[in-house]
Amino acid sequence: MSISVKLDRVLLDRGMSLTELSERVGVTIANLSILKTGKAKAIRFSTLEAICKELGCQPGDILFFEDDGKPIRHEE
Amino acid sequence: MIRAIGKGSLASILAVGLHVVRVIVWIAFAGVSAAIVAIPLIPPVAEWISHIDGASIDGDINIDAGDFVEVLRYFISFGVALYVIERLLELLNTLRFGSPFVKENAVRFRKVGVALLFGELSKIVIGVLAMIFDADVEAGLDLMIFIAIAAVFVLSEVFREGAAMKEEQDLTV
Repeated sequence: MSISVKLDRVLLDRGMSLTELSERVGVTIANLSILKTGKAKAIRFSTLEAICKELGCQPGDILFFEDDGKPIRHEE
Repeated sequence: MIRAIGKGSLASILAVGLHVVRVIVWIAFAGVSAAIVAIPLIPPVAEWISHIDGASIDGDINIDAGDFVEVLRYFISFGVALYVIERLLELLNTLRFGSPFVKENAVRFRKVGVALLFGELSKIVIGVLAMIFDADVEAGLDLMIFIAIAAVFVLSEVFREGAAMKEEQDLTV
């Protein structure tokens, strides 16, 4: 899949467990696990908003577009 | 109002009905299968029995290919019916004990369509054989049956799309 999820990295930076995030955002651990392992086919804006709010980050910190495994970065 | 799933639902009533029909069709299919095996054996066995002292059987029993065509027609009909009933029961099981929108059900519907199409097209072959061997077999084609078969194939595609949508829904966080 071209979109990869780096939720585990952000969780590590914040020192938060998946269980704690699950309780805070009101999404089941099973669903967060699907998201974390990259098996998710879609993410609701409401879920993304709740995760970003709790982790204090931007959607771009969690979601990355990769072209054949290489991350795409815009020139600043 | 009849419920879609659970006890007393239309699916469970249908399942009970199909189980009963399956038993009846199984018996009929077994009988016809036995007849297919027995038909070629009847003349020699009858002749052999007629030679036994005191046997009151006509040893000149004539079984022609036309008789075989008639039995073959029922063999195909009951075989197709059994195959379709088995697939329908599998479909109903997914409805009663889980979600019906799975890829396997799309395949099951396609198999039902193919089996029904085979059953209908085999009538052409049976009709030709009946003409050749002068058998008294009614093997006419019905446009409505072909429309029903097309509906089954359409349903199969609907289920395939439904299964994909369900999977996407399940994997939406």
